[in-house]
Amino acid sequence: MPSPFLTPGSSTKANELALLHLRRDQTIPTILRTYDDENLGYDEGKVTNTRFGSFPHSTIIDHPWGSQIAASKVDTGSRGRRAAPPKRKAEELDASGTTTGGDEEMPSLKTPVAAASGFLHVLYPTPESWTMSLPHRTQVVYTPDYSYILHRLRARPGNTVIEAGAGSGSFTHAAVRAVFNGYPEEGPATKRRRLGKVCSFEFHEQRVGKVQDEINQHGLDGLVEVTHRDVYEHGFLLGDPQTGKSPKANAIFLDLPAPWLALKHLVRKPPSGAESPLDPSSPVYLCSFSPCLEQAERTIRIMRQLSWLSISMVEVSHRRLDVKRERVGLDTEGVRGATLHPKSVEEAVAKLRSDEERAKLGRSGLLQSGDASASKKDSSAQMSTTPSYALGRLTHRSEPDLKTHTSYLVFAVLPRDWTEEDEQRCRQKWPSNRVNSAAEETPAKSRRQMKKEAKAQKVQEKGEEQQTSEAKSES
Amino acid sequence: MHSYIRPDQFVAICLPSDQTRIVKVIPDTIVQLGKYGSFPANQILGRPFYVTYELLDSPESDGHQLRAVTATELHTETLIAEGEADGEGEDLEMGGDGIPMRTNRETFDDSSSQRLTVQEIEELKQEASGSGREIVAKILESHSALDQKTAFSLAKYTLRKRKKYIRRFTVLPMDVGLLTNYMLEERDAQRTMELRDEHIGLIGCWGNVHHSGDATFNSISTVQPNGRYLVVDETGGLVVAAMAERMGILYPHDGEEDSVDEQDPPPGDNGGETRETEVPTKSRRNRRVPMSASGNTITVIHAYSQPNLSLLKYFGYDTNNPDESHPLHTHLKTVSWMQLVDPSADPIYSNEPPVIPATELASLKQNKRATYYHKRTRWERVKRVVDEARAGDFDGLVVATLLEPPGVLKNLVPLLAGSASVAVYSPTVEPLVHLMDMYSTARRTAFINRKRDLEAQNDGTVDLSQLDEEFEVDPTQLLPPTLQTSRVRPWQVLPGRTHPLMTGRGGAEGYLFHGIRVVPTTVHIQAAGAVRKRRKVATSTPASDRDVDMAP
Repeated sequence: MPSPFLTPGSSTKANELALLHLRRDQTIPTILRTYDDENLGYDEGKVTNTRFGSFPHSTIIDHPWGSQIAASKVDTGSRGRRAAPPKRKAEELDASGTTTGGDEEMPSLKTPVAAASGFLHVLYPTPESWTMSLPHRTQVVYTPDYSYILHRLRARPGNTVIEAGAGSGSFTHAAVRAVFNGYPEEGPATKRRRLGKVCSFEFHEQRVGKVQDEINQHGLDGLVEVTHRDVYEHGFLLGDPQTGKSPKANAIFLDLPAPWLALKHLVRKPPSGAESPLDPSSPVYLCSFSPCLEQAERTIRIMRQLSWLSISMVEVSHRRLDVKRERVGLDTEGVRGATLHPKSVEEAVAKLRSDEERAKLGRSGLLQSGDASASKKDSSAQMSTTPSYALGRLTHRSEPDLKTHTSYLVFAVLPRDWTEEDEQRCRQKWPSNRVNSAAEETPAKSRRQMKKEAKAQKVQEKGEEQQTSEAKSES
Repeated sequence: MHSYIRPDQFVAICLPSDQTRIVKVIPDTIVQLGKYGSFPANQILGRPFYVTYELLDSPESDGHQLRAVTATELHTETLIAEGEADGEGEDLEMGGDGIPMRTNRETFDDSSSQRLTVQEIEELKQEASGSGREIVAKILESHSALDQKTAFSLAKYTLRKRKKYIRRFTVLPMDVGLLTNYMLEERDAQRTMELRDEHIGLIGCWGNVHHSGDATFNSISTVQPNGRYLVVDETGGLVVAAMAERMGILYPHDGEEDSVDEQDPPPGDNGGETRETEVPTKSRRNRRVPMSASGNTITVIHAYSQPNLSLLKYFGYDTNNPDESHPLHTHLKTVSWMQLVDPSADPIYSNEPPVIPATELASLKQNKRATYYHKRTRWERVKRVVDEARAGDFDGLVVATLLEPPGVLKNLVPLLAGSASVAVYSPTVEPLVHLMDMYSTARRTAFINRKRDLEAQNDGTVDLSQLDEEFEVDPTQLLPPTLQTSRVRPWQVLPGRTHPLMTGRGGAEGYLFHGIRVVPTTVHIQAAGAVRKRRKVATSTPASDRDVDMAP
């Protein structure tokens, strides 16, 4: 089954994950069903109820992705059962949102009738939208972090990524997109090409089951291999911890409470004599994701002892910006979101002047009710020339709730192993001494000697040039 | 992937001064490192990346003058410091052993504390061997106030001197992350629109850029070509390179199983030059047709007659002299704005060279025939690529441009398939704030109302171009417009001296706009809650717009 995350095709299909986009930050992931999988007793078959109306899945299936779908009139009351509360938890992923189903006994489903109002947009899932709508099991690695991590880990098509601590699966989905370069099911042939893969390790048994179910539902079997394992103790080999197959990883992401305990397994030659989980023919990139500085420091200390290089630590600070038009002025009375205050010195002075005048008139008892309304009419006449969406000053500010700290990201590289034999082979292939310009045998020279010679040569060349030019001029 | 250094490949050489040099490793040549010296390229060819080498003063018997520095050696001081800290306990206030901790109260700003004169240091440089380590040691020895320095300032002093005199370098593989930092720090950052690593990551993720799977592997992608991305790139090709890296078409050896025993050009053969002479002599029939791939492709829309993608040369793809074996040769397509918007005005697209029958062709002179084929294939290529682009159905749009963003989106968003992602990068916030306003809820509502009014007037059929004057873009085509920025803060992590770096690069912050292409229905749908509920929903008519009469 192709995954809607990687190859969504052009339209929605039954039994595949789709995201029902209601509004910003409000998206319901759901598996589209032609039948009622939970027997919730709707005449229209499976129905997703939202605050913007009810949507029978028959009205969503086989539409182009991105389509706007109108709500339908669904009898939600007479089933004698209330729909589940809209709060989603990990346990009810399948029944995401207030998803409910139709009547099993009814052979033919009722054709939905369009409702007077309400709509949503149906989108294919991406790791980003999934991250925003996924059921939380543990702390989630959000897009700003994982986008930077995967970039720094050089996770590219065809690579193998180890992920320890599968967590809520947000990093898993992003990583599989990064390494994907084809589905493995078809044809065991073509050994030349390595297919990208994510090897996910999780020590929490229940979470392993959840992740595995999710992987199946999302069509990612074969691309993600989930292993139930305590990696501190048993390392990263697939299958049996001692004799299992090496994942031959190019990149490693550790989201563990004590990453330093796992590092001892991530070496080129494990002391236990077991196979190394790393790809022997490439450098290995590692990222450790720890919220506390102490964890990061301790990890780095062990990394130095285990010969990791280019060790660096960063934190990512990310902000979303709200863009809004802000209106200030005395003409904004009754306008929502606007501030009733003079917008300029002129307006303030004019207001003061008119107030003063009115007060004077009031004191002398000559105030006429007509004046004030006349001035109001003036301002409203001015306003109508520009549409309201273009009024006011365009401003931007950070969103109200900031994630000011996610975690410290520790990056490091482990170069591939290089033996004396490798070095000798290379020296034979690329003789250390051979330089094109100097084809003759050059004895071992120091830098200074080389410099001197180069200088001498230059001088000589110049001299020759001069000689030849002189010779020319003479002739 | 980057398993060993290949001949004629670009690599980065990191010097002790934190400078990076980009070097093409041509066999049998000398690599120059400025004041740090030079070495023959052959001594790093075939070797792994990320190894640090020290230049030896007296080469080995076979002329090898590089010594690989082990990781333990690189980490020596930190490891020792950590070991000491372990023994003494963590109490830094006491400085260990009951000796009160040194402070900088007694130190003075005085250049006289270094007793070596400049001449003496110069002499040392002339004489010293040991790759500068001796010089550093001598300088430290002859510093009169060394014992007054605090541990921190001593570490800083040693580091400074080492950067200046030690002769080491590290070879790093050329990739997008490295090139990004190189352009930002060592070259003119403006050329790449001050694009930072964190934004490269964000653009790739929010643009949903990924490999589309192998057409020969799975039946789905053969039915519908997918993984087609539209790009507007004015960063000299950095954005295209970042996308190509994610799509697995950037490196000439992408998809190959790496092995040292692979066939390399025979020694002495200068790959770079032979390639140039090879291309014209190659038989026309055996050539891989440029821009011919149907899936996993990048289509660049460019403002001048030729796109500027010069940075791709670092990945073995020179746009002026393309290497036909490079994956980008078939997967990178280029279309100018004129070809996209008004193809009939394009001289190549609109003038089809007349077809000459084969019999007549045979009688033509060699060079005439060559010209004919050249013109014909060029026209066919342009026609195919432009028609394909105009047909749309792209899977994503990535923009980093100097053009006004609304105009770019107005033309390109309609070419996207439903649910495709749009990512627009800008070094500064203002253009994107404006763009956000173009897609604001208030504007979208006004657009829908105006459209409905027009529909009512003209019995359903509407020419949307009437709305162009008022609306720069169709705000109903993108949801939900989002603006974000991200910044990475690097830290120094050393035993007892962990803190964020004291200085960093200023300049543009970098912002990213994101939206998803949606397809509004043709039937009018009232937003839910607009009538019954008092609270307004984001997708429905906001009450704030009611105060103004919008009717024409």
